Amino acid sequence: MKIVARHDEAPGVRTLRLEFQNPADHDSFMETYRTGMFGLYGVYGEGESTFCVASPETRKEYIECTFRQSGRVTSALANADIGDLITFRGPYGNRFPIEEFHGKNLLFISGGIALPPTRSVIWSCLDQREKFGKVTIVYGARTVADLVYKHELEEWLERSDVELVLTVDPGGESPDWKHRIGFVPTVLEEAAPSPDNCIAVICGPPIMIKFTLISLKKLGFDEANVYTTLENRMKCGVGKCGRCNVGSVYVCKEGPVFTAAEVSRMPASDL
Amino acid sequence: MTKILFSDKLDNCVERWKKAGFSVIGPVQRNNISTYAAVERAAELDLGLILTERSIKELFFPQSEPMLQYTIKKDSIETKDFLPPSGQRIIFGARPCDASGMAIDDPLFGWDYKDEYWFQRRNESVIVTIACTQSDDFCMCTSLKLAPDSTKGSDILLRPLENKRGWLVEEITDRGRDAFKAIADIVQESADTAAPLAVVEKKFDLDRSVAWLQNPENFESRFWKEISMRCIGCASCTFLCPTCHCFDIQDEGDTYSGMRRKNWDSCSFALFTMHTSGHNPRSTQSARWRQRIMHKFNYFPGKFSVNSCSGCGRCSRQCPVDMGITETLQEISKLSQ
Repeated sequence: MKIVARHDEAPGVRTLRLEFQNPADHDSFMETYRTGMFGLYGVYGEGESTFCVASPETRKEYIECTFRQSGRVTSALANADIGDLITFRGPYGNRFPIEEFHGKNLLFISGGIALPPTRSVIWSCLDQREKFGKVTIVYGARTVADLVYKHELEEWLERSDVELVLTVDPGGESPDWKHRIGFVPTVLEEAAPSPDNCIAVICGPPIMIKFTLISLKKLGFDEANVYTTLENRMKCGVGKCGRCNVGSVYVCKEGPVFTAAEVSRMPASDL
Repeated sequence: MTKILFSDKLDNCVERWKKAGFSVIGPVQRNNISTYAAVERAAELDLGLILTERSIKELFFPQSEPMLQYTIKKDSIETKDFLPPSGQRIIFGARPCDASGMAIDDPLFGWDYKDEYWFQRRNESVIVTIACTQSDDFCMCTSLKLAPDSTKGSDILLRPLENKRGWLVEEITDRGRDAFKAIADIVQESADTAAPLAVVEKKFDLDRSVAWLQNPENFESRFWKEISMRCIGCASCTFLCPTCHCFDIQDEGDTYSGMRRKNWDSCSFALFTMHTSGHNPRSTQSARWRQRIMHKFNYFPGKFSVNSCSGCGRCSRQCPVDMGITETLQEISKLSQ
């Protein structure tokens, strides 16, 4: 795929906008792709890495991925320039069943670099806003600088049909920070969204997911109405290479999207 | 009267098969290790081994193989897909546990995406298995409900004759039957009888062990920590295992040209599951050993209705710290009494 645009979201975090070289590849991807699915992005000579598709299913011109520069592959992707070609395989995995969310209130909860998968679902729903009830987004990062998609956060703050609760970890605030200070689960409990007719979508580091699930339970959410996406290490993407499974579940094939009820049946210490 | 292949005719067979377009592969000693490799003459085969140290797996799923080649030019990237070199093969002298292992992995490589590397080699191979008349303390096929003369995964089963002059021929599949057409006149009718099979002692109660593994309460048992305390995470067991199939995908080359390769990997390694953030779902050696046992005897059979173990015993036989599947399932059998 060709890099057509790139954008720095936070220190070390970059978004690439990608276009397929071959129109047939574009068409078959867009026909299959639904929000929640993932791909394997790579640079020849360096290897492949797994990230979600960060763009929504409602936008068909391009795809986007957002990643933190960390190892060999992500460094090569970060160093790639506009016009450069990268490798891509996908889409793989299952999806968020957003048509089942029609008519319901939506609560998105996300932490740090986990906003990209959540953002794909958020825009997929906001692009057909009339089909959903109240939309609430709780997003937190370690520091103000670490918040990703800052321009989109501004846009959501301004929208009257979206309630965005922003927070940073204690000590991560800047002098002019006007939003919350505290960890995501705590801030979520303070915001106390109603579980009535509401679907929650959470994505974040494992520790955040663990405590957020506890908070959602306290708020009265049913596990069947809480969705998350497990971002395990993957290589093949097609249920063979053996590393992404949690218990008997292959995350790359049966996931990455699961309800909290499904996650609670997985062996907790292997998550 | 039954069909017999006399061992003094084996060289003729090898010649005949090669003429018919097959390459002939079998157990040999190479570089001080016993393994399966291509031979020119029957004399190179080491058919007296109880079991080769390396498993038959690498004939179907090599330790490292190229998937594609890339060349980066100024304005374009050229890629070339690699498939294994095509060619009909006869694997002569496989053991029943190794042959079973290949049949066990077929559903894994075949579900959803069909792994063309695996199936091309599977479809181009005739496995001629020799039933075992000897075993060692590590053999455990009978514990896995298999036997020294299991036909699972084999195209032909040969039973050694009592007089040690050859083998009794049992044709299992059409592919085996076809390959033996090339030597139809070498195979003779005779009244010789087969030697007694190896006695492989049953080492654990599989059903009881599996029931223990399936009980979610035992996932957090102290047992896992105790049994895996001495595991050094070297992955020898997984690399030698005929059914262990985990792999990695890595690029080898530079900015201008190179290969994307599929390499063996192992659930014994911490890096196997480590997230970029540093979080590791299977962060301890005991979690990794538990994963290996659970995968083989609970998760894999749950998906594909077959245990991912054929009882070859290599994991225990070659473990540098004397642990393996046998020891683990023996202990579990005791726990579940």
